[in-house]
Amino acid sequence: MNNRKVYLISLFLILLAGALVSAKIIHGGHSVEHSYSPHLWRISVIMNLSGQGTRAKVRLTLPRENPRQTIYNEHFENGEMVFYIRERAITGNRIGFWRSELLDGFKSIQYTFSAQLRSQSYVIPQELQLPKDPLKAYPADLVHPMTLLSSEFIQSDLLKPHLKKVIGREKKVYKVVQKIYDYIRGNVEYRSEKGSKDARATLDKLTADCGGQARLFVALSRAAGIPSRIVGGIITAGGVKNTTHVWAENFIGGQWIPFDVVNDYYATLPAHYLELYRGDYSLIKHTGLKKLEYFFIVGEEKMPPLDNPWSLYILPTHFQAMVKVLLQIPVGAFVVAFCRTIIGIQTFGTFTPILLSLALRQVSLEVGLLCLGSVIFVGWLLRKVLDHLKILVIPRLSIVLTMVVIMVLVMMILGFHFGYQQVLNISLFPMVIMTWMIERFSVLEIEDGTKNALKTLLGSTVVSIVTYYILGITVIRTYLFAFPELLFVIMAFLLILGRYTGIRIVELWRFKELKKNLGEAR
Amino acid sequence: MSFWGYKELGLLGMNRRNACYVLNRNRRALYPLVDDKLKTKDILDRHQIPTPELYFSITSNFEIRLLKEIKFLKEFVVKPARGAEGRGILVIVGREGKDWRKASGELISVEQLQYHVANILSGLFSLGGTDDHAFIEYCVHSHAVFRNIAYRGVPDIRVILYRGIPTMAMLRLPTKESDGRANLHQGAVGAGVVIQEGITLGGVHHNKLIDIHPDTKVPIRGFKIPFWADILEISAKIYESFGLGYMGVDFVIDHILGPLILELNARPGLNIQLANRKGLLPRLRAIDALGSDVEKFSWEKRLDVTRNLAS
Repeated sequence: MNNRKVYLISLFLILLAGALVSAKIIHGGHSVEHSYSPHLWRISVIMNLSGQGTRAKVRLTLPRENPRQTIYNEHFENGEMVFYIRERAITGNRIGFWRSELLDGFKSIQYTFSAQLRSQSYVIPQELQLPKDPLKAYPADLVHPMTLLSSEFIQSDLLKPHLKKVIGREKKVYKVVQKIYDYIRGNVEYRSEKGSKDARATLDKLTADCGGQARLFVALSRAAGIPSRIVGGIITAGGVKNTTHVWAENFIGGQWIPFDVVNDYYATLPAHYLELYRGDYSLIKHTGLKKLEYFFIVGEEKMPPLDNPWSLYILPTHFQAMVKVLLQIPVGAFVVAFCRTIIGIQTFGTFTPILLSLALRQVSLEVGLLCLGSVIFVGWLLRKVLDHLKILVIPRLSIVLTMVVIMVLVMMILGFHFGYQQVLNISLFPMVIMTWMIERFSVLEIEDGTKNALKTLLGSTVVSIVTYYILGITVIRTYLFAFPELLFVIMAFLLILGRYTGIRIVELWRFKELKKNLGEAR
Repeated sequence: MSFWGYKELGLLGMNRRNACYVLNRNRRALYPLVDDKLKTKDILDRHQIPTPELYFSITSNFEIRLLKEIKFLKEFVVKPARGAEGRGILVIVGREGKDWRKASGELISVEQLQYHVANILSGLFSLGGTDDHAFIEYCVHSHAVFRNIAYRGVPDIRVILYRGIPTMAMLRLPTKESDGRANLHQGAVGAGVVIQEGITLGGVHHNKLIDIHPDTKVPIRGFKIPFWADILEISAKIYESFGLGYMGVDFVIDHILGPLILELNARPGLNIQLANRKGLLPRLRAIDALGSDVEKFSWEKRLDVTRNLAS
């Protein structure tokens, strides 16, 4: 009868979701060209911060697009820290900042993105001569003077006397670059070391890691009057790693051409080089931390590129976090509906457990439950007093609500005083909902007895905890964000749930005596 | 017996009740007729179906003062019009000076009584917490036959009416725990009733099958409910007045007035199956098997269907 229609509509919804998802896969990924498909990587930068109870700040340069790489499907898990992105005009770097006014204990932040990488080779024009006055010879909008000047670790001025030994009287740019490159490859020995040497020290010791060698290359190039800069990134290969790589880029004939002395890539880069920053910087900087550990998890990208104009990825990153919370609500609703219709757990209100579990996610489970328990206990005591004083319902509810707010404030102060900074997040608790819980609990207690009231309270808590754990599954969050169309699937399941006429699991227990009775009658 | 065991028993679960019977048979527009007891009373009065007499109703806060003016009433019951599961019902059985005496024996001051009514008006006991009315009605005294079997309070009789046909019934006996109320989840005892004869089967208390009343220690089985034919007749006749295909009718038997309809319920509970030790589904299906115009049968014919229901 009706069920057929319901199943048909559910099927339709699932098909609709499927169609939208595949349309997104087929027509999505505008920035990624399919001809390059093999080198798709999914890279997570995970930073584990150990705070020391002070203001803390972390900055990470984020990869950006260039002809060799396309970045898409970016995800930020900011661990409730303030997050923003700034563009740097001079270097063209894109920098993500995480800030926390008070960071205590351990915190993990994660930046995940997909990258399509390509190899590219460059042709160095042979007719170019070294300019007489390098600072005036290059277009100011393409070449910043910094790429020609001496700096702390790239002492091109100091190396000028040595340059003669390397390039002789050569004036042709392509030969100069070739000579510098060959000189370093021929004379400097690779040695992995802690902290890269500067250009001068590299030249003195003639042993260096990639950083030192790249600095020497840049310094010599700049000394010769060719704009040159350091480029940092990682060499992608599946697995976990925490090493970055550094190479150099010279501005020749209107474009920046890469040179990796250590791995011998001359005017070419293979497809597994991912550029993360430009300039002689470090990838990650931090202040106010006891310790910061970082590592990269590199894997092949399996999720197709989705950055068409209609995906959620185009939203500004700080809105994306909010969208993710929104997307959790239907998932939570499904869990609650399941617990209530299939299992038959009683809860206070339908949506209370969802809001509670969202709040618990912000605060952490133990602290959240402790706070919830104490708020409800104090509210219940207050409610008893108000009942004794015969206060009308609406003012009474408002008084309890005020008390809930006071409780939350007190707990924030207490928690902060004793060094539990997580407690500060309980300001996100749904206070109106908690007030209603107190009221319903009290009425239920008077009407149906303490046992029943506690049972319903327990039911609400259990459902909240279950929802909490399910919302914690990263896969669900990531995929819902990539394909919000999956919400139609949730709707379809909810429809089917809405026509579930079977027995609830709790009812089995409720009717068990009857079953026994029937068994005895046989 | 199958693994779950319930299929064989024909037990109606909450989900199936809601999806297949309540949502299917009860038009939403008709709910207010049973959810609001004042409306129910009005309809019952108009059809001259016996129900406890309404003394007066209180619909706004300023009328609460009227409670002070009660002079000649010795006993009465205060009820919320839209209360659920027996919530907010206050039974007053006497007066002690300025205070009133509750059925449980406790005293209650006029202020407390007014506070209770104020709570009712602001919707504390109502379905969904919306604003409500309170009313004061005749206090039913239970028929003498129940004196031994019930612990205080007034036992009531719940009849499930499916498409106008009395389908299953139970006698609900208050206990010490239920504080005079006849709601099973508040601790009252439910006893199944042979629908054709009005004789009780065993009972149920908190999902446990019992044969003896936990407080009075009187056997529950084999008790003959008086006025059973009248109860069945009233149940069958009431259907046309309300039009709900699946409802519960709650009777009480007054020592003077006989069977009275206390209230109606559009979503009768499922404990009646435990009390009767039988699932409802076989009976519901048997009625559905009679075709689509069961509702159009005369009430006599509908009672015939009841008589022929397999027990």
